[in-house]
Amino acid sequence: MATSTKKILVVDDEDDIRVYLSRLFQENGFLVNCASNVEEALLAVEKERPDLITLDVSMPEASGGKFYRDVKSRPELSSIPIVFVTGVTGPGGSRDTEHFYGSRSHLPPPDGFIAKPIDREEIIALAKKLTGGAAAGASAN
Amino acid sequence: MPEILPDESTIALANLGFSCTQLFDEVPCWISIQDRDHNIIKASRKLIADFGDRQQTKCYALYKGQTKPCVECVVAHSFEDGKDHTSQQTLFDKRGMPHDVLVTTRPLRNDSGEIIAVMKALADISSEKELAGRLRNSLSLFHNLFDHAPCFITVQNQEMRILEANQRFQESFGEGAGRPCYELYKKRSEPCTVCVVAETFADGKEHTSEEMLVDNQGREVHVLVYTAPMRDVTGKITSVMEMATDVTEIRTLQNKLADLGQLVGGIAHNAKNILEGLRGGIYVANLGFRDNNQEDIRTGWDMVQRNVGRLSAVILDMLYCARERSPRRLPLSLPKLIKEVAALFISRAAEYRITLEVKADDPLEILGEPKDIHSMLSNLITNAIDACNEDQNEQKPHRVTVRAYPDQNDIVLAVEDNGAGMNSATRDALFKGMISTKGNSGTGLGLLMSQKVAVEHGGSITVASELGKGSTFTVRLPVRQPNASST
Repeated sequence: MATSTKKILVVDDEDDIRVYLSRLFQENGFLVNCASNVEEALLAVEKERPDLITLDVSMPEASGGKFYRDVKSRPELSSIPIVFVTGVTGPGGSRDTEHFYGSRSHLPPPDGFIAKPIDREEIIALAKKLTGGAAAGASAN
Repeated sequence: MPEILPDESTIALANLGFSCTQLFDEVPCWISIQDRDHNIIKASRKLIADFGDRQQTKCYALYKGQTKPCVECVVAHSFEDGKDHTSQQTLFDKRGMPHDVLVTTRPLRNDSGEIIAVMKALADISSEKELAGRLRNSLSLFHNLFDHAPCFITVQNQEMRILEANQRFQESFGEGAGRPCYELYKKRSEPCTVCVVAETFADGKEHTSEEMLVDNQGREVHVLVYTAPMRDVTGKITSVMEMATDVTEIRTLQNKLADLGQLVGGIAHNAKNILEGLRGGIYVANLGFRDNNQEDIRTGWDMVQRNVGRLSAVILDMLYCARERSPRRLPLSLPKLIKEVAALFISRAAEYRITLEVKADDPLEILGEPKDIHSMLSNLITNAIDACNEDQNEQKPHRVTVRAYPDQNDIVLAVEDNGAGMNSATRDALFKGMISTKGNSGTGLGLLMSQKVAVEHGGSITVASELGKGSTFTVRLPVRQPNASST
């Protein structure tokens, strides 16, 4: 377990969402760090080198986008998978955000999208897939 | 018409060689030959047919039913000066129908040059006069339409100079004649890069565009422009007519609708976050119950309570914003109210080492709903304290100042902070709702509510802000008139 425990960085400006996702990932065998803004998040990425980042992207042009570009444009960090957790509403829902980032040719598309309200099984399955699986076998429920 | 007698004049006429009787009869106008005493001594067939059954030989009796000669008589003039004369008159035929006629007289002379008679030709110009009348009416109608059409109309030449402009245009953009269109419409010195008038000159087709104009008062006028070529008889385009319809109100409504859509989207987004917080709280509390872990239970339950509170606040704010009503108008001492509200925030400000001061010493009274003004003030002071907290410059001594002072016919209430300030995008979007820089502590509707309070009290709210330097929210409320009554 010790060698394969995966680290997730949760980036969200909402305290409750950070607590929620932390506990959810911990329950499923991940180690979790949190950041409430992009400056904190960048420091944490550099220091902790997480295996996965979940990033709250409220609006396509908001600061979460800048963080994404910063990480993905730095060779030493760009291989860290980033999952967007988005509550963007509108006719296209989260697909609009997906399209926005997916259409920027100079950046790779994000490694996953999770729409709010969060489906716990979906986010855990995605986290396991992207990190190569967590050691603990706890349930997502 | 009496039979024409072979009198002296007739014989003289015969001597003149006036033998074109047939021509005389066939000419498509009324012709008579008259002596000095206004007697008709010869009349064309058409004249007899149309005027001839009155048994009159005097021209004034025959043509006008008068008993005396006309005051101005062109026949008499021709007898006097031997020249041709013309006049316009109204005659009445044998059925009493009026005819507008052009009268031309010509003296007839004998061999010795003496005037022995005058020939009078009467051309019926009734239809021409009617046409002229119709033309006049059409022109007047055209001018009325041109001037009062609910759009700005100009006629322009190839250099975009205005040849004609309707009244509506002149009222909004000034005297147009001779000046370039872009000077009046856009207050610029160069032609526009894309110009529908130029396009119509180039291809002879109609073009449309949407433009933003600036009127004489400096107001922006949003218009739909339509151009059409105007051609001469050879088909050459001599000018272009440009019609611009004011759609500012429609655009304003569209923008308001778009803002409303954005607001609803923002509320839904906010609601999703609250829901997520609730679900998270339940999840964490459930973990606590499962593992008998008091800390998880407490954390989860706090999350649930907090998010229920947030949801309540959002719903109350939404209801407040949606409610249409007129506030009560009670006399209020603004300095007293400000001091009361500020007192509620003193300890919170102190906790963050922010100085909160009130500068409202003038006795200022307004009419309003105390609860509303209280909410607005609380909201503005909360925002100011939060803006100081968000400031990255932690060394700066932060200060929030609430002022009230009279200014002309208004009372000004200003809440100033030297906190984080805003960029222009945030500033522009402020009063549209759902702008919250406070993560999960705000409903995003506070400023929208403050604006509603200010407007409902006959006032306004504006903001000046600079990123890194701070913001000032200024509320202007009408001063209470000495004789104003409260309801």
